[in-house]
Amino acid sequence: MKPYRSQPYHRNLAQVSRRTFLRGVGVAMTLPWMESISVWGTKASTADAAAVFPKRFATLFMANGVNKHHFWAKETENGLELGKSLDPVAPYKDKLNFVTGLFNKNATNVGIHPGQTGNLLSGAALQKGAELKGGISVDQILADHIGQDTVQPSMVLGCEQPVTGYHETNFSMAYGSHISWQSPTSPVPMEIYPSLAFDSLFENRGSMRNISILDRVKEQADSLSRRVSQNDKAKLDEYLTSVREVEKRIEMLRDRKDKADTKVQQDSSAMFKMERPENGLPEDIREHMRLMCDILALAFQTDKTRVATLLLCRDISGLFYPFLGVRAAHHAASHNDESDDYERITRYYVSQLGHLCERLAAMPEGEGTVLDNSCIMWISNMWSGSKHDSTKVPMILAGGLGGTIKTGRVLDYLDKSDEDRKLCSLYLSIMDRMGVKLEHFGDSDQRLMGI
Amino acid sequence: MPLFRSPVNLIASSVVLFVPLIAGAVSSDRDGLNSDDLGQTFATSIKPFVDDYCVDCHSGPRPKSKFDISPYTSVKKVIDDFGHWGEVLDKLTAGEMPPDDEEKQPTAEQRTNVVQWIRSVMRREAERNAGDPGIVLARRLSNAEYDYTIRDLTGVDIRPTREFPIDPANEAGFDNTGESLSLSPALLKKYLEAARDVTEHLVLLPDGFTFAPFTVMTDTDRDKYCVQRIIDFYKRQPTDLADYFFAAWKLKSTGSTKITDQEIATTAAAAAISPKYLRAVWNILTGDELNAGPIAALRTHWRALPTLGSATDEEVRAQCRNLRDEVQNLRAKLAIHVPFLKSKGIHNGCQAFVLWHNRHQAAVRRALNKDVLHIEHSDTDQADELDPELGLTGSDAERAEQMAAFQKFCSVFPDTFYISERGREFLNDPKELANEKGRFLSAGFHSMMGYFRDDQPLCELVLNDADQHELDELWTELDFVTSAPMRQHTGLVWFERTDSGFMRGAEFDFARAEDKDVTSEEKIRKLAEVYLAKAIRLGAGEQAQEAIKEHFTNINASIRRVEKERIDAAPSHLRALEQFAERAYRRPLSDAEKKDLADFYRSQKTAEDGSHDEAVRDTLMSILVSPYFWYRVDHPSDEPGIHPLTDLALASRLSYFLWSSMPDDELRRIAAAGKLNKPEVLLAQTRRLLTDSRANALAVEFGGNWLGFRQFENHNSVDRQRFPMFNNELRESMFQEPIHFLTYVVQNNRPILDLLFADYTFVDSALAAHYGINEPDLKSGQWAMVQQADRFGRGGLLPMAVFQTQNAPGLRTSPVKRGNWVVKQLLGEHIPAPPPNVPKLPDNEGIGDLTLRQQLEQHRQDKTCAACHKRFDSIGLAFEGYGPVGERRTLDLGGRPVDVHAEFPGGGEGSGLEGLKDYLRDRRQDEFVDNFCRKLFSYALGRTLILSDDPTIETMEQKLKANGYRIQSLIESIVTSPQFLTQRGRVDLANN
Repeated sequence: MKPYRSQPYHRNLAQVSRRTFLRGVGVAMTLPWMESISVWGTKASTADAAAVFPKRFATLFMANGVNKHHFWAKETENGLELGKSLDPVAPYKDKLNFVTGLFNKNATNVGIHPGQTGNLLSGAALQKGAELKGGISVDQILADHIGQDTVQPSMVLGCEQPVTGYHETNFSMAYGSHISWQSPTSPVPMEIYPSLAFDSLFENRGSMRNISILDRVKEQADSLSRRVSQNDKAKLDEYLTSVREVEKRIEMLRDRKDKADTKVQQDSSAMFKMERPENGLPEDIREHMRLMCDILALAFQTDKTRVATLLLCRDISGLFYPFLGVRAAHHAASHNDESDDYERITRYYVSQLGHLCERLAAMPEGEGTVLDNSCIMWISNMWSGSKHDSTKVPMILAGGLGGTIKTGRVLDYLDKSDEDRKLCSLYLSIMDRMGVKLEHFGDSDQRLMGI
Repeated sequence: MPLFRSPVNLIASSVVLFVPLIAGAVSSDRDGLNSDDLGQTFATSIKPFVDDYCVDCHSGPRPKSKFDISPYTSVKKVIDDFGHWGEVLDKLTAGEMPPDDEEKQPTAEQRTNVVQWIRSVMRREAERNAGDPGIVLARRLSNAEYDYTIRDLTGVDIRPTREFPIDPANEAGFDNTGESLSLSPALLKKYLEAARDVTEHLVLLPDGFTFAPFTVMTDTDRDKYCVQRIIDFYKRQPTDLADYFFAAWKLKSTGSTKITDQEIATTAAAAAISPKYLRAVWNILTGDELNAGPIAALRTHWRALPTLGSATDEEVRAQCRNLRDEVQNLRAKLAIHVPFLKSKGIHNGCQAFVLWHNRHQAAVRRALNKDVLHIEHSDTDQADELDPELGLTGSDAERAEQMAAFQKFCSVFPDTFYISERGREFLNDPKELANEKGRFLSAGFHSMMGYFRDDQPLCELVLNDADQHELDELWTELDFVTSAPMRQHTGLVWFERTDSGFMRGAEFDFARAEDKDVTSEEKIRKLAEVYLAKAIRLGAGEQAQEAIKEHFTNINASIRRVEKERIDAAPSHLRALEQFAERAYRRPLSDAEKKDLADFYRSQKTAEDGSHDEAVRDTLMSILVSPYFWYRVDHPSDEPGIHPLTDLALASRLSYFLWSSMPDDELRRIAAAGKLNKPEVLLAQTRRLLTDSRANALAVEFGGNWLGFRQFENHNSVDRQRFPMFNNELRESMFQEPIHFLTYVVQNNRPILDLLFADYTFVDSALAAHYGINEPDLKSGQWAMVQQADRFGRGGLLPMAVFQTQNAPGLRTSPVKRGNWVVKQLLGEHIPAPPPNVPKLPDNEGIGDLTLRQQLEQHRQDKTCAACHKRFDSIGLAFEGYGPVGERRTLDLGGRPVDVHAEFPGGGEGSGLEGLKDYLRDRRQDEFVDNFCRKLFSYALGRTLILSDDPTIETMEQKLKANGYRIQSLIESIVTSPQFLTQRGRVDLANN
């Protein structure tokens, strides 16, 4: 029995976007993203290929800041020069931007930790005490607007169990465990189990459960139908027809998914393949993080979702890194953030971005790769863990988001006024590029300059 | 076999039907009519009339008005489609057909003949089948019914269909019939999601389940739900001492020396306080035992309270509050403050230490801290510094009595009744604690989650057994629902390995928060050993060691307890599912169905890697999309003829008529016992249902659909720049006004004529301001009845802002729409839809030279227009004193004085609202009554009315009139009508 497991239900039955069918087309059929479409029976046409690839946005979160001495980048004639902690992303330095100086006003002067975390993606002011209240996060706004086009509106994954309780600042510890919020009062249930995260995308588990429910009520309607008048039979037939129709659609999707899988197995060398992870939690955190990144990559590649948030660790994390030769747990280590130990931890977390970039960059899509059509935001809630300094947050933006973000740059906002260096302004700019135009978001009503 | 057919048969059914029921009449030979007089007349004069004056236009491939009259070649064919012939009758009576511009016109006598004949046929036909239940189609619950039913099934108002497409209405204008309700795959998908939504509110309890008002799919939501329920419970408890002192004072004023338990109970009930605690307080105030120390002082104060009549209650209450404050001030000084455990190398905020402190503190809330007391020596130097309240004086015996009095005082007045929030007390820092408000039920650890119950004084002194049981259950449920002990322990492992650092050593590496078995008995035991060993190494004292041992024993026990409760609870969840299904299906389940339900649960639990929780939710979902829940089907008898509905079917019919929702437990019980068909029982239930707040649905669903304001909450055709007072709040208030009005009429059994002629209405603050009614002290959301509303030009339905606004297109009024609304919706007059290409009136009445009245006059110059417009324009003009958002006015938007005088259709004239009311009363009242009866009857039956309903309606109207038009008389007539009580047999259902 797993009392805490909360499996996100599929709010919408699996469906492939109309838009996906109507666009895209004429592109080489070996493209993985197209792969899932070709088996859906779409005919090729001659629409503009460049416009068709979906744009994706993902957040990778590391808690408690970085080692500032080795977390830097400089623009040079030969491209970016990177600090030691950024080594793992060196192969992709032309595909990323190093962003510094952004912050979230509501995460400053409210005390340390939870108050600096729960609003990282929303910019909202958080409420202390028992009652949770913040704001909807940017990933969920995107999910609400573009999520209906994919199997999953968004994926919200984590590698460390959330906690509640109260921090000394009197903020709930839940704010330190959740950066993705579906409403101001409720976080998105986070999937911790790689096996279930995998299933949610590829098994259509919720839909399959729905099928058994529909089977059951169909039997009931059949039996009821035998006992009613001719007129009523007609009404019940309407019900039965609807049930059958909905079932058929679910089966069809499953069928197509199977076909797509087979086809991919057989003839797509470009397709990234992965086995279903084993049930339960991986014992090794390296394995856990790698699986979650792989699932995210697979989800983006096959366009099962376009929005993902991965909490690599929670704030005040209790994760251990014996493989890095560090004895202290994450949070304790962060209080010594200028140490070599914490540099290795920082580098390890950046390597998760490196790993994800490697996966995405190996997935061709049109002239480029899935990485080129994505924006992966690697972010922490503080600059310094010993000082609990959230007046600027460390950030790397990887990917060009379908050619809408120029990469290979250092974007430094440190000398800008507070008004001009808001995280929420960046979120507005990213949402713009993904077709979600809002007047304001969080504490901002302007787009970030220079992005 | 039908599962729930009751053994009632027609003869046994003793409901008195006031229209004789002719069983089997429906299947009699209809062609018999051809041979009688009516048949003769059809052949000799009706058919020739039709051929001469009608068929030219109304036949062929494109008959005018899409009405082909040529197929009616016999009386039977006329009867089979009397609906159209009703219209033929209307047209002939009104002189609208043949049209004036046709050369060929029948004589007046010919016309009268045909009219008479149609009436006779209808009359005859109606009487022959009077009371026929007709065909009530199987129908799914409408969106509205689904929402109401989910509310009553789950106890929470989730409204899962609130954003669904609007259900279509039938001919009579209602969305509760199989005639109009349909289903598509797209809609089914929406309902699947709605059902899923409902299941996400499910909370599994140790003994069954319940539903939360919000979705509970995360720990934070489950915590919120369970904690809030306990906090609410605490808040409800009467623990203000002042209330007890005041109640005791009231008791004393009765003058009797010996107070009986009965008197205590009565007084406590009146004051909404605990009788148990009132007795304790009474005893300490009035007893003569332990008359020393604080008790003697208290009694002196108490006796000094004014005698009855010498002061107002409020003055005495104020003194009682003073007395309370004195008691509490003294009590605070006498409290025991258990010291916090500390031990080198162990965090002060660790679970073992904090819980040890909490337990010991909780145990002494009714105990005296003897250390604060001192023996008074009048000659010592320190006498001035010592608190005289805390002194013991006199002989040894006297001091002993004083000590006993202190103990008694502390026992009756605890230092607190319960702790509802707790910060990190171990810091011993008042400033920190002041910042840590709102940590409800928290144990007070450092950073870690954990709850602690501290309410012993409340349980011992205030609560009765039932309350205490309820509170115990709430706490059990907190652990059960939120997995609090498991999470607390996982938190310990995390905290001690990271922040406190206590468990950073290699010997603790076996315990990791992320391990699946971190809460297993084995791991907890091992952890307890290693933890204790380290504590001893660091020099922990005996108390600290004891605290650590106790802690691990306790947390292990709690976790094991919750695990066991989980296993034990599973069968209760299945039983709860059965009960839920029975309520949802509105009938008992057969054994086979129960088995089927359990089988489904089991298959979902094993399929697709499911869990118990998921399987319960899936089973619940299958119930919510089941045709048994979602469809209302009356199983017909295989015998021909007419049969009474089963009691269960009747119960549903009654509750969906009056509540738009499922029968409640009482109604279901009575139906299951087979008693509902007894007329006195049926009528008693009808009255009971009407007094229930759920009868509000009759106003919303019947009233809203009949009068056309059901969708007004989304009404968006008001120019808000021109009418800034029209905001969402006022719109909602406008929508609510007729609902409050109609609910009042229904629940107070007012005459239905009030709808037209009442001089009262209902307002909230927004509407009062809009109407210029001075209703002070209306809080937000509060409604008040306004009498003599005619002072403000209001009263009854006619002048309600909702109708005036809805029937006005933005920047002008619309006498056409307003008048049409009156004659069509209220009076039931049949008005054809306007032809295409009618000239349009200007959008803004403020522009142009002519008033609306003048333009309408021009429009009516055209004869074809006049035919209809003369039937309602003038009625609409009487409303010109109300502007586009129903505001009263004397000038139109162009600044011209409005003219509210009107010459009404069919004669009579008058001015404004009062003129219109007089006209309706004098000339149209019967039409209104007839229309109202028909609408309500049709709504109640869930079908369009048929010819054979006419005799029932006539009787209904007579009875209504005889009862002063009281609405419940009508409702009673409806629920005891044969149509409501019976259904056709299977064979007869095939015939229309």
